[in-house]
Amino acid sequence: MIIDTLLSHFGVTSNRAKATAYGTITLLTLLLVWIMSTSMFQLIEPRVLPSPSTVVSKYIQIITEPFSGLTLDGHIYESVRRWGWGVFFAMIIGIPVGVMFAWVPWFRTLTYPIFELLHFIPPFAYIPLAVLWFGASTATQAMVVFVAAFPAFVINSELGVSQVDKIYVDAARVFGAKRFATLRRVVIPAAAPSIFQGLRIAISNGWMALVGAELVVGKVGLGFMISQGQENASVSTIFVGLITIGVLGAVIDNIIQRSERWILPWRRNVTVNNG
Amino acid sequence: MLRSASINRFLLGIGAVGVWIVLWWWLTRPTGPVPSLYFPSPDAVWTKFVRMWTRPYIGSTLLEHIFSSLYIVLSGWTLGALVGIPLGIVMAWWPKVKWIVFPVFQLIRPVPPLAWIPLTILWLGIGDAARMSVVFIAALVPWLMNSMLAVYSIDKVLIDAGRTLGANDRQILTRIVCRTALPTLVAAARMALGSAWSTLVAAEILAATAGLGYVTVNASQLLDTDILVVAMLTIGLLGIAMTACIQMTQRFLAPWSVRQAPTS
Repeated sequence: MIIDTLLSHFGVTSNRAKATAYGTITLLTLLLVWIMSTSMFQLIEPRVLPSPSTVVSKYIQIITEPFSGLTLDGHIYESVRRWGWGVFFAMIIGIPVGVMFAWVPWFRTLTYPIFELLHFIPPFAYIPLAVLWFGASTATQAMVVFVAAFPAFVINSELGVSQVDKIYVDAARVFGAKRFATLRRVVIPAAAPSIFQGLRIAISNGWMALVGAELVVGKVGLGFMISQGQENASVSTIFVGLITIGVLGAVIDNIIQRSERWILPWRRNVTVNNG
Repeated sequence: MLRSASINRFLLGIGAVGVWIVLWWWLTRPTGPVPSLYFPSPDAVWTKFVRMWTRPYIGSTLLEHIFSSLYIVLSGWTLGALVGIPLGIVMAWWPKVKWIVFPVFQLIRPVPPLAWIPLTILWLGIGDAARMSVVFIAALVPWLMNSMLAVYSIDKVLIDAGRTLGANDRQILTRIVCRTALPTLVAAARMALGSAWSTLVAAEILAATAGLGYVTVNASQLLDTDILVVAMLTIGLLGIAMTACIQMTQRFLAPWSVRQAPTS
């Protein structure tokens, strides 16, 4: 209405530009409401909702001064390290298991029911068990990440391998390729996009599980920072943690999305052909 | 033919689980390699499971813990549906609403739902409200995204046909959009429930006075590994039961979609 007329006055007519304009206006309005209700008119108590400037100064404080032993980059490093180990182990175990599910029938028959059952237990339910086994160590967090990331690798690898056109496999056989060579040279590359999809899901599931595990146990990390904020009744610390977790999650997902191009170069050709 | 094949598969599955239970029993037998502090034997788990129905553990029997968990998860899930479905449909139908709401949503989405737990505890205390709102956030995202997807997946030809036959916007929305969107909504229900259930467990580990997640964290602190495993298996079995309920509903509401349902 009014906004539309204004936008067209400034030459904003395409839907894409309009969407951006609307989004910006919404976010700015929210920011304005936040500023007005906190620092300007003090409608909300600072211990319930801190003002934006408090959050920003808290952010700067945590970047420059150590918070429970580490500055922000230290906490980020610790979180990313634990998460990396968990995802790494889930990958080197999960992809072979998934490929075997699709390629070795007796293995699937034997293990699938138990995999299915365990898959229904949320990763967070493993946190107390992990604490019992490993105490408050990197292994605890990594195990929870592993549990969260593992099924994504298995399911998507299995899906990818079982969807490979039978004709490729037969063709490789006709040319005299052994079973393992067929798997390595034909099936896995054809299944790679699906496996890659598994990596994406595993990475975001693992990130989520990591935050959960860090909330419960540990003395460093972004999740710990949030739970510490709760204990000290410092909402601004919680906000710093939430923002950092959200931004890192988005950045990681973005990197993965972009890296598909150079990890799976043959995939690019397919899209070029389609386009 | 197909029937006997599926019965065979079922029997093989039972057999496989049997193999694993025997392996489990062998590893955790009194003289076995795994001490009962790290992992309990199957018979210890079974004994505790039977006992917990009648004898309360940390204040409630197993059934009360189950009800406490289900109460929170189903309320949060329902609230998520009540907000997410209408909002998703409206956002997909009127681009302007999407332009306004979606950026806020995009801002919140990368933060895992359970990361809100400390904030909700600070704001709402450790009562049911904190857990419920976290579960609500967890359920809202799949509900909303899939409701939007449901609207986008509608065949344009059907809408044009409706228009030609003189239907107005409201009629097209209720008669065509809502009905073709049903399968995607069922998928939304399943995803939302999965997300809600796992977030609830995390929330109960952090702040609760009853519930299965609360049982796991207490059992872990008291080194009651057998009770911990009972709680974990109960969580898993309830997850399976709830998924089965949704699948049955799908078979009843939208039988044509059962075969092509997306797997998560």
